Amino acid sequence: MSLLQLFQWLGHTSVGVFMQQSTYAFAVVEMIHLLSLTVLGGVILLVDLRIFGLGVKSQTADTLAQQLNPFLLGSLVVSAISGILLLSEEPIKCYYNPAFRAKMLCLVLAVAFYFFIQQRLSGGYAKWAGAVSLLLWLCVGLAGRAIGFI
Amino acid sequence: MLQHFCQWLYDSSVGTGIRESIWVFPIIETIHVLAITLLVGTIAILDLRLLGWALKREPVSRVASGVLPLTWAGFAVMFVSGFLLFWSEAAKSYGNPAFRLKLLLLALVGLNPLIFHFTIYRSVGDWNERIVTPLRARLAAVFSLTLWGGIICAGRAIAYFQK
Repeated sequence: MSLLQLFQWLGHTSVGVFMQQSTYAFAVVEMIHLLSLTVLGGVILLVDLRIFGLGVKSQTADTLAQQLNPFLLGSLVVSAISGILLLSEEPIKCYYNPAFRAKMLCLVLAVAFYFFIQQRLSGGYAKWAGAVSLLLWLCVGLAGRAIGFI
Repeated sequence: MLQHFCQWLYDSSVGTGIRESIWVFPIIETIHVLAITLLVGTIAILDLRLLGWALKREPVSRVASGVLPLTWAGFAVMFVSGFLLFWSEAAKSYGNPAFRLKLLLLALVGLNPLIFHFTIYRSVGDWNERIVTPLRARLAAVFSLTLWGGIICAGRAIAYFQK
């Protein structure tokens, strides 16, 4: 199955049909998406800004990341589920939307960088890693907002 | 009176300029949306600490002093960007029920930390290291999370009611 077929299938599932026909579902799911990205962004900011000496200074960025991990994972899951629901409302439009494509690319890079690369970089590279992470997540947010504009 | 003021803002050159520009309004709006993470995302971590769910091993006062400067920075960005958005849409926002609800919730969410700070937080030394904080501190956290969540939802709804 190609990616386009997968998106077409999503639009034809009962969830997709419900999202397309309901008057309020899209607005409600969009609010849930906003609330979960608030927590997601809050954790990312606290961890990455700590690398630059801002925020909760009594802990290292690594310990902060470790302790806040459940909230990051939880908000990522809620964002992903609500995001798929939003996507199912008009999957084909999103498939061809450059902002949507950019967002998915940045999201994969940001998540991979945060979980697999950033935490292995220390010393002189830590600040670079923090800056790259902040930049990648910022791009996810910017591209995400732009989906609605395009 | 208030309506006239909103109309005057709406008709002013700055208000009209933001509204009629292709780029300025979306850019300010994007800043306003993304800065939610700096304002509400950071204060939410403090609320979660008060509830005993996040950063349990960290004294409450240390989480507060670490998080609050970021929250205030977020507040400054939100206030300026929010006011500019309002400036350009003031006449439409005036009668918008979602906008009115948002302002009401904002007033309440401002009272909450004032009460918290001048009452239960005064004795923070007694419960600073406790995982589960006193009931009044947990109540303040629940109010904060609920009100901020409501503000985000009402804020998003403004666009749905704007005509």
